Amino acid sequence: MLRRLQRLVDRTRLADPRYTFLFDPEPPDEVVALDCETTGLNPRQDEIITIAAIRIQGKRILTSQPFEAVAQTKRKSHPEAIKVHRLLDADVQNGRPMREILPDLLHFIGSRPIVGYYTDFDVRMIDRYLGNFLKIRLPNRRIDVSSLYYKCKYGDAPDHVMIDLSFAAILQDLKIPQLAQHDAFNDALMTAMAYVQLHDMLRRGVRIARNRAGAVSDLGIGA
Amino acid sequence: MQSFDTLSPPFDRLTHDEAEGLKRCTDIGYFRPGQPIVSQGQSSKYLHVLIKGVVEVREGASLHAVLGPGDTFDARAVVHNEAGEDFVAAEETLCFLLPRDHILKLVHQNQAFAAFFYAELSQKLDALAAPLDTRGMDSVLSTRIRNVRYGAAVFVNGGDSLEQAAHAMLDADIDALYVNDDDRVGVVTGLKLTRASVIQRLPLNTPVREIAQFEVVSIDADDLVVDALLIMTRCNKRRIAVRADGSYIGVLRDLDILGLFAGNSQLIPGRIARATSIEDLSKAAHDIQEQVEGLHRQGVRIDVIGSITSDLNNRLHAKLFEIVAPPSIREAGCLMLMGSEGRGEQTVRTDQDNGLLLRHAVPQADLEAFRAAFSRALETFGFPLCPGNIMVGNPVWSQPLDGFLGQLRSWVQAADGDAAMNLSIFADAVAVAGDANVLRQAKDALVARLQGETRLLAQVAKLIDLFPTSDVGVLGTVFATIGLRQNRIDLKREGTFPLIHGVRVLSLEHDTLAGSTSQRVQALVARGALDENFGKEITSALLIFMNLRLGAQIEAGRRGVINADAIVDAAAMTTVDRDMLRDALRIVRRFRELIRLRYNLGSV
Repeated sequence: MLRRLQRLVDRTRLADPRYTFLFDPEPPDEVVALDCETTGLNPRQDEIITIAAIRIQGKRILTSQPFEAVAQTKRKSHPEAIKVHRLLDADVQNGRPMREILPDLLHFIGSRPIVGYYTDFDVRMIDRYLGNFLKIRLPNRRIDVSSLYYKCKYGDAPDHVMIDLSFAAILQDLKIPQLAQHDAFNDALMTAMAYVQLHDMLRRGVRIARNRAGAVSDLGIGA
Repeated sequence: MQSFDTLSPPFDRLTHDEAEGLKRCTDIGYFRPGQPIVSQGQSSKYLHVLIKGVVEVREGASLHAVLGPGDTFDARAVVHNEAGEDFVAAEETLCFLLPRDHILKLVHQNQAFAAFFYAELSQKLDALAAPLDTRGMDSVLSTRIRNVRYGAAVFVNGGDSLEQAAHAMLDADIDALYVNDDDRVGVVTGLKLTRASVIQRLPLNTPVREIAQFEVVSIDADDLVVDALLIMTRCNKRRIAVRADGSYIGVLRDLDILGLFAGNSQLIPGRIARATSIEDLSKAAHDIQEQVEGLHRQGVRIDVIGSITSDLNNRLHAKLFEIVAPPSIREAGCLMLMGSEGRGEQTVRTDQDNGLLLRHAVPQADLEAFRAAFSRALETFGFPLCPGNIMVGNPVWSQPLDGFLGQLRSWVQAADGDAAMNLSIFADAVAVAGDANVLRQAKDALVARLQGETRLLAQVAKLIDLFPTSDVGVLGTVFATIGLRQNRIDLKREGTFPLIHGVRVLSLEHDTLAGSTSQRVQALVARGALDENFGKEITSALLIFMNLRLGAQIEAGRRGVINADAIVDAAAMTTVDRDMLRDALRIVRRFRELIRLRYNLGSV
């Protein structure tokens, strides 16, 4: 309810009429997997370093037409963050300013729902730039793979069950290969793979077994 | 960009630019369990590479194989517009979707990549031969000197005469000597000696130190062949000294290195011919076995390895016969080899399959002594005793021709499983020593007896189902579902045996028994008893099984386990190997079907 209200407000506040397409109805069965690498974990101060987005049409992940951008940052990367994303400040020098990247990104996303792992963080990062640019926040619906995974695995869990929503746990349960992580494209791709599978499993009403799935992979044999 | 595995075959055959171009047009598809991905007889817009999940390969109700991550399907559907089988997702499955048009473009511009997509196995094998050769080259270059067969180090004293030095060379059959002279060591070569005596006309009692070279170019026994080649080239030397722990242990010639590349099979017949004792022969026997590994490493085709090895083994047996057999047996006997040795297809020796036919009876004591000595000698050479007792030690397989013809007759009359097995074994017999006419008479008698004996031929043909083929991959599915992905295939029972035996039966019927299985196939094709294309496929499939089997046997040998049955784990194979194995198994199934139909096996 609150979000819908926000949408209406934003729609009227939108500074540039060329971006009304963001408020169009969602195209059927299309989403965009999105991931940002940032200088740190504070959305108020830290900056986006790289953004990657991959469209998903039905059961197909369109890796042939990805969106990838490296942004210019003013703020030095936090040393811990460099360890995570492995982008040195020197690499980021070649980046484009966010005001150039944003129009491309918005056109790429359109009115599609945004799929991510803890999407809120990524969207909040983008919103910070978007506020200056269009005076709005991203109006797109957000789909978080961690909550799809929760529904699929823990939806009916009794209280005492330990809940693990880590990205690694999701990948392991879905048997999705670990690509080199903390590269925006790979993270977006693994998120997209997790999404198509979870989306289908939920639609079919298939659950992820608790305990047993873990037990099999703990054998350490197999593929 | 994306982690599209271009390092695994067949994509490792693409250049960097080709691989990048392919990535840029590749999407990923998701398939739910039970969803058909490619259907038999249909073309496919994409070549699929499994990222995760399991895909079952089916034909009607039967399950042919189970594919896992890294596997590719279906080349046939992409290149030939017609999938050979159904491909159905068995789990939640993700695949790279490589567009057909792009794959076809790559097939046209990249020969090695194209090999993967050929439907005909023989074409695949040919196209893959090139990269195999370079692999062989590399492995030779990275051999350690100590594993090369270099010449022995023979020392003379500096004060010895030229004449003494020349004799020392002659005695040791080498052409370079080390010269000890006080605290220095030099080298004198045959050429140096010749020049000194013939050209410079130095007296033969000149001390050898006067012509010795005391600046010795040497290499350590732990260095690599490639280092030796570099030193030889740099110093313009045709031979260099080999040292270990500070002393000279041998002389390495450029010829020794050449021998590594070409294999030194040309040297072994000489060694066999010169042998005068069982010990001498034993060394040659071990050389033959090492040779097999060397040839395989160099990527020599398996049928060539088989014929070289069989030729050498034949010589070995003939020489042993000559050494062990008393005059009575040498005069009347014909030594025959059967099984893979008889067909000229033996690589790694499995067991003894031999027999003796005599033109007429010989003294019983001679025969018994020979039987024991011959089998024992072969055992020390590394030929294990035959578990089926098909060897000269068994009176059934070593007797006068008259008795043996009677034996053949009773097998033909019995027409049961044992008889069929014995007749099959005898069908492969070749004579390696003694009077070949004796064997020819026995074989002619066999073929004549079998004409029109449809019941017996059917009995022999029935052996093709001796080892029931577990449908490949059924086991794999079971394991796959519990997370244990293993797909063990017995190459001999499920691959080579049905092919070899089916061809053998057809050859018994059409009198085309001479030679190897592939020669038999050719003869059958020439007689119109077998379709030409199918004949080629059978031969290619056989080569693939034999090649995989040899690889497995050599590996097993290194680990010190005997793996005579050659069980391979399909899950551990490269994609190309597995793809070829799948094709080859498909051919075995068709051939079994053909044999069953032709000999009415349903009704035996």
